[in-house]
Amino acid sequence: MWLPHWPITRLSRGVSASPDRPLVTIEAIRGVRHLVAVGVHGEAQGLRPGQTLTDARAVCPTLIPVDADPAADEVALGRLAAWCERFTPMAAPDLPDGLWLDITGCTAVFATEAELARALAARLAWNAIPCRVAVAGTTGAAWALAHAGADRTILPLGEEKAALADLPITSLRLDTGTVTGLRRLGLRTVRDLLRIPRPQITSRFGAMPVLRLDQALGAMEEAIDWPRPLIGWNERLAFAEPIGTPEDLALALAQLAERLCRRLAEQDKGGQRFIAWFFRVDDVVPRITVSTALPARDAAYLTKLLGEKLDTVDPGFGIEVIVLEAETVAPLSAPQTQLADVAAQEASDRLTGVVDTLTNRLGLDRVSRVAPFGSHVPERAVQSIPPLALRQPSWVDDPAAPRPIRLLRRPEEIEVIAPVPDDPPIRFRWRGVSHRVCASAGPERIAAEWWRAKRSGGGRPETDLIRDYYRVEDSDGARFWIFRAGLHAADRMPQWYLHGLFG
Amino acid sequence: MGCSGDLILPTPSPRPPPARGGGGYAELQVASAFSFLRGASSPEELAATASVLGLSAIGITDLNSVAGVVRMWDAAKEVGVRLVVGARLSFRDDTPDLLCYPQDRAAWGRLARLLTVGKGRVPHGDTGDAAKATNRCFLHYTDLLEHGEGQLLLAVAPDRLDVGFRENLQRLQSDFRGRAFLAASRRYRGDDANRLRAMAELPLPMVATNDVLYHLPDRRPLQDVMTCIRLGCRIDQAGLALQPNGERHLKSPKEMERLFREYPEAVRRTEDIVERCGFSLGELAYEYPDEPIPPGLTPDEHLADLTWQGAAVRYPDGIPRRVRDTIEKELLIIAQLNYARYFLTVHDIVRYAVGHGILCQGRGSAANSAVCYCLHITAVDPAQIDVLFERFISTERREPPDIDVDFEHERREEVIQYIYERYGRERAGIAATVIHYRPKRAIREVGKVMGLSEDATAALSAQSWHAGGELWSDDCLTEIGLDPQSFVVRRSIELARQLVGLPRHLSQHVGGFVLTRGRLDETVPIGRAAMDQRTFIEWDKDDIDRLGIMKVDVLALGMLTCIRKAFELLEIKNLAGVPTEDTAVYDMLCRGDSIGVFQVESRAQINMLPRLRPREFYDLVIEVAIVRPGPIQGDMVHPYLRRRQGLEKRDLPSPAPEYGSADELEQVLGRTLGVPLFQEQAMRIAIDAAKFTPEEANQLRRSMATFRNSGTIHRFFEKMVSGMTARGYAQDFAERCFHQIEGFGTYGFPESHAASFALLVYVSAWLKCHHPAAFACALLNSQPMGFYAPAQIVRDAREHGVEVRPIDVAASGWDCTLEEGALRLGFRLINGFSQEWAERLVEARGSSFAAFSFAALVRTGLPRAALVMLAEADALRSQKLDRRAALWQVRGLSDMAELPLFAHQPVAIHHVPLPIMTTGEHVITDYQTAGLSLKSHPMRFLRTLFNGEGVLSCAQAAGLADGTRLSVAGVVLVRQRPGNGNVVFCTIEDETGIANIVVWSSLLERFRRAMMGSSLLLVTGRLQRSPEGIIHVIAERLDDRSAMMARVPETSAAVGRLPMRSPGHPRQERIFPRSRDFH
Repeated sequence: MWLPHWPITRLSRGVSASPDRPLVTIEAIRGVRHLVAVGVHGEAQGLRPGQTLTDARAVCPTLIPVDADPAADEVALGRLAAWCERFTPMAAPDLPDGLWLDITGCTAVFATEAELARALAARLAWNAIPCRVAVAGTTGAAWALAHAGADRTILPLGEEKAALADLPITSLRLDTGTVTGLRRLGLRTVRDLLRIPRPQITSRFGAMPVLRLDQALGAMEEAIDWPRPLIGWNERLAFAEPIGTPEDLALALAQLAERLCRRLAEQDKGGQRFIAWFFRVDDVVPRITVSTALPARDAAYLTKLLGEKLDTVDPGFGIEVIVLEAETVAPLSAPQTQLADVAAQEASDRLTGVVDTLTNRLGLDRVSRVAPFGSHVPERAVQSIPPLALRQPSWVDDPAAPRPIRLLRRPEEIEVIAPVPDDPPIRFRWRGVSHRVCASAGPERIAAEWWRAKRSGGGRPETDLIRDYYRVEDSDGARFWIFRAGLHAADRMPQWYLHGLFG
Repeated sequence: MGCSGDLILPTPSPRPPPARGGGGYAELQVASAFSFLRGASSPEELAATASVLGLSAIGITDLNSVAGVVRMWDAAKEVGVRLVVGARLSFRDDTPDLLCYPQDRAAWGRLARLLTVGKGRVPHGDTGDAAKATNRCFLHYTDLLEHGEGQLLLAVAPDRLDVGFRENLQRLQSDFRGRAFLAASRRYRGDDANRLRAMAELPLPMVATNDVLYHLPDRRPLQDVMTCIRLGCRIDQAGLALQPNGERHLKSPKEMERLFREYPEAVRRTEDIVERCGFSLGELAYEYPDEPIPPGLTPDEHLADLTWQGAAVRYPDGIPRRVRDTIEKELLIIAQLNYARYFLTVHDIVRYAVGHGILCQGRGSAANSAVCYCLHITAVDPAQIDVLFERFISTERREPPDIDVDFEHERREEVIQYIYERYGRERAGIAATVIHYRPKRAIREVGKVMGLSEDATAALSAQSWHAGGELWSDDCLTEIGLDPQSFVVRRSIELARQLVGLPRHLSQHVGGFVLTRGRLDETVPIGRAAMDQRTFIEWDKDDIDRLGIMKVDVLALGMLTCIRKAFELLEIKNLAGVPTEDTAVYDMLCRGDSIGVFQVESRAQINMLPRLRPREFYDLVIEVAIVRPGPIQGDMVHPYLRRRQGLEKRDLPSPAPEYGSADELEQVLGRTLGVPLFQEQAMRIAIDAAKFTPEEANQLRRSMATFRNSGTIHRFFEKMVSGMTARGYAQDFAERCFHQIEGFGTYGFPESHAASFALLVYVSAWLKCHHPAAFACALLNSQPMGFYAPAQIVRDAREHGVEVRPIDVAASGWDCTLEEGALRLGFRLINGFSQEWAERLVEARGSSFAAFSFAALVRTGLPRAALVMLAEADALRSQKLDRRAALWQVRGLSDMAELPLFAHQPVAIHHVPLPIMTTGEHVITDYQTAGLSLKSHPMRFLRTLFNGEGVLSCAQAAGLADGTRLSVAGVVLVRQRPGNGNVVFCTIEDETGIANIVVWSSLLERFRRAMMGSSLLLVTGRLQRSPEGIIHVIAERLDDRSAMMARVPETSAAVGRLPMRSPGHPRQERIFPRSRDFH
């Protein structure tokens, strides 16, 4: 199976490209950015791989360039291979943009090979993955036909030679140097190549062309490296009869969780995100996802988390296969159960458990904790972070800018008597009580964060959007953090606020 | 808990004392935009604000740099503010940052050397883009001790006043007794009162500063953005790295007194420091190097000697009376202005080049003088062009003379190394070029900081060719799908506009050398360039001009390489060896036959030639200058052409009679029929007609060159237009003159440069006219250069009757050569072939071409890859092997061919059933391997197909009448999109010739893909024929026919072949060399 424009296919799931705004991948070669993959839309706009980005922009100024990421392409291809498990357990990526599927003996479910090819192509098309499929008795022939033959060719055994003769030599999986060399000699099709005595070819182009010919024509076996296990951390359970009751499903999940966690433990790993796929008889695949705050591999715990979401799965007419996958896997060493730490460990485990339960029930974005954030504006100096995220470095206490122990959620208006323009106040009234200032420090001038859209700027110049903070102590020894919003102006008295309390 | 120690009682009487009568404060801690990505205001803005606020003086202390001081000096002079110059030094050890103010000239020299030492220590490879922008300099306290004499030092307090800082101050106090201070600022951080009190108790006397980063408070956002650019983060992530408030601006003396009311002496001390810094940049008296002068002679005497000796060589039949007079007059002016050493220095450099066979040619204001002609600095004969030396060097302006020397581009480095060797690195350095933010870069960096999406930023930066007010206008934004009301977009654009024109980093000038008699590093710090062995100073060419320092531009020019190579083939000694004023050469140029000729080979120039019809040398001077932004924006081209063709009468713009004589511009415009074409003329009009002072004219020129301050430009516009109209000049003429000066701002083209270029135009045209084979040969050997690819050069040569022979193993060398008058192509044309292989092959071949055989070729021991390339380039025909057979043979060789055992084996020829190669395939492969084919043109094979479609050949098209509708098709050679973007010019080629296509922008959007993307283009449109017979096709429809190229082999085949499937492999081979695109 050939997936033309694979990188674009992968990317276009996340980027809003359109025929007018084609998505392309780019790569810098010696500082010049070149197009790598252009996709169907890009081709229609006249873009070509290998073009420089500058030239490409001249042709199509609206293109959306994205950095090429072959590693991500490869990972995604691996995923797709795993997905093909529904057709055959023998599915392997053919880098950079194809898949091998060994469908020997897999036609039981699908009546014919052609039917299987149709189902596969249809399923991919439904997922907006363009592909070309060919079925043949040899790897080489299948590859050649998928790339250069008619789409969905089903080649009966023994007809390889006839079918391939008219295909171009590019269909033989040779590197560009060899292809150019052969073309320069006028050898353009497989037929041309077959005419030349084999030793003559080998002495000029190495063993590859002849090897590829043999592999295509069935004279030589080709070993494909089938991934085992298909992709890292998953377990699969197939049922002779489709199942559907919640009890059956829970039982199956428990079994899968047990197997998966055992494997994780063997390698000192833990999963942070688990997905259970339910392959229904009618081609619909509901799934449930659970996340844990810390890497986990406790089967019972995992079963519990999954079980809480099981009611979202509609079994329809029955489920044939369940796959449980640990998507994000991180190292997790065996718990160190030292006597002294048992209590702390248990408390921490309990906290983790609570957080996970809350998170999975309320949603990932509803549970958080506060952490310091770099901002001069006091009320902006905290932010929400995931509940068990690693501790951010906390505030470096700046003795020059001490912050009150209690910051009011909203600054409260106060009446103040203070000398102009920016000396500390002498007296102020808060919540009806008058305070005489006996000591003070300041001002600490904090300007508005100009890059945030002003909610009510009212056309005032930015220089006005400042606060002058003072630490003041009244005659009772109580300390307050108060500020004046803005500077004195001829026509306007600035308003004062109380924003926090020290001690 | 009571009133504890860190709080202070409110002062009972808050009213500040009234300011002492005017002034009383000098700001001494100022970072301009030359503290790259730290300071957010230009020196001009700072100086102007200082003046408005009434500061008694302003200091400039850029981080580890004095790059901005000259601009600041100039700006301060203009607004009448006293300036003290210094730098802020940062140290690698725990020494706090110090503001360093030299008290006298000697101390300035030590500061410059100190910075030079520090810059020299910055490790190589650490001068990348980000690092360049951050003023890097590695200094230690010991360096300061060494260079500290005569400096006043102000220590900058760190955030925490710890014990270490106190110890450092004690050290400063004992090492620099009476010359060290402590800079203290009110930071508005809440602890100011305590901090100042603590500082007052530190060992050094306190000096009030405001640690200025910008001139006005509303620059705070830009300064924040700069911080983000420097740190590479988004604005909302920058957090505490930003300043908490906008207080770091220039403040008035009154305000400073209020802020420091408890420490009035700290304010007063600023003025004391200013008083103690007696040094001014004006003291940097410049002295020319005196190397070349033999003992016992004055520079003037020596220059006179050399000039008269040279004159005798130049005029073997006796020096003409007029030339003799000119020389005497010039020598007199040079003596008056004391410029002899400058001419001698340039002469010395040129003499080195000539002595080493390096072709060179001077240009610039002083270069077109009789003296320079006699000194062989230039080859423009003063007898041939009316040189007006005084026009270029005026005694009143006292500008340093300006001579640029062009050298062969392949050998300029030799000259540069000679200069370093002769003057030493302490005395020679390359001038800096200040790289300013341009709209494109500004919006890209601001957009990134503001968190605009990548494609929004890209779209905005793609808009940046829009001029002035149209840049990022609401309409433009809507057009690219951005909401002009969006806060982020509006803000980003506003900030990008502020950023445009501010300096970004220093780079080295292309070749402007500064040479001094004493140590250069005691005048200005010298830094190391990112690449190679260069060193460059911190000041750019304008700074150097202002200080009256001499500069020689050592530039590289490809055409000189080409001319020298042609001269070698023809055994001509130098530029003077070419006969002058040859009619045949002008005839050729009038026909527009100028492919390969210097400066006039572009499409626009080829069109201009038949209209201008150059008949003498001065016409070429005009030809070179006229197709430039200046005359075009000033709309001066057509008036000039009309007058030249006699369609309009020569008419001198003149003032109203009461304001001056009607021919006051005769001197200026007489030679160009009353139309200003050159930069000097436009500037002269500003002075003579609009009555600018020379100094104002200079300011005008500079403000044009830096295109910042659109406000100032407007001021000049008013002044020039009103100045001229008030004196009776026509409004329209005045406005056009101004626009012309604006055009010169982007690309100045003075007459003195044009004259030197015109000589190279003439010489290259003479070569093309009389020695086309040698000329083409030299052009090919000097590639890459010029406008055209080898294929067009070869084609043009063949059209001029030159026999061109193919690359062949038995005859070619690395370079192209001349063989009995024919041009033999060299191995250098083969893509990827190396010079070393070529040399090995030539050596092995020896002189006996005839005996050379395939076996001998194999014995050369060239790697198989080399032999494959030769075979693929069809270079084995002399061995009776055509391309395919040769490839088959070469491919059959083992990689072990170097082994002697194998090498002596006769190579057996196997006969295998390879398909026969069609001519079409050969042609295509020729293009793929060598970029050109001598066998045929690919279009020939498609002709039948195109005939069927009614497509004409270029030759047929050329014969049609004006206005005929037609279709032509051809290979795209060049695409050009001139500045304003209204039109794209495109040249296509078929087997009969070329056609010039004009595509208007209205059409472009519809056919963009075909226009910009195709290699084979089918154009349908209307023929336009100008009165001079120049032909264009105005396109109405464009079709991309590149796919037809794949059919070339098939259409040329004798027998029908299997239709080729389109290969499934994504990478298709490129058949043609890239078109030369200028977009």
